[in-house]
Amino acid sequence: MACAILNRIRELRAAAGDMTQQALADRIGVTRQTVNAIELGKYSPSLEVAFRIARVFDTPIDAVFQFDERA
Amino acid sequence: MEPPPMSFREKSAWISFVTILLVFIPFFWNSYRQWQGAVTGHEGVSTAFGLLLAFVVLEIVLHVIVAIRAPKEAQSPRDEREQLIDLRATRVAFYVLLVGAFAAVGMVHLTRSAWAIQQIVLLAIVLAELVRFGGQILLFRRDA
Repeated sequence: MACAILNRIRELRAAAGDMTQQALADRIGVTRQTVNAIELGKYSPSLEVAFRIARVFDTPIDAVFQFDERA
Repeated sequence: MEPPPMSFREKSAWISFVTILLVFIPFFWNSYRQWQGAVTGHEGVSTAFGLLLAFVVLEIVLHVIVAIRAPKEAQSPRDEREQLIDLRATRVAFYVLLVGAFAAVGMVHLTRSAWAIQQIVLLAIVLAELVRFGGQILLFRRDA
């Protein structure tokens, strides 16, 4: 089921020198499959993981995740 | 885009699901034959213990093989999504176990056979475990 949270993780990974899903997963302490599910909008991460992702890309959390107003 | 390969936890769920099916279908078939009197009590018990031993060995060997291929993942704790999947699947399995428990209580009124009641309880546990691992597999696949 698609969630109401949009994200720019794939774009940010590409901008960070084509960081792999596995590399991001290792840095935030989840599995690669979980990063994939978040990217595809199939899983909404906890606030803690969302902050960790934002910290990896050195960007504010709302630059990574946005609430989908249409949802 | 191609989905990522299965995680250790998903492989573990598949192993348990398939192993339960492989072992407990013949297990309950053996119990049924015992109930019908097609096999003696001694033969039935020997077969049942053999199958339970096979279940433990299969679970251990297959999990060790999968863990050797992904040691880092096997040693790391479940992440938040895996925990959520486990909780959701366990919640559904609980209701199956609950129905089985009531069936066992009902069985007391139909038969005084402790063996038959034991089989109903075992069946409830096995079905609940199948639902738990099957639920985990479905939820893992849905997110892939």
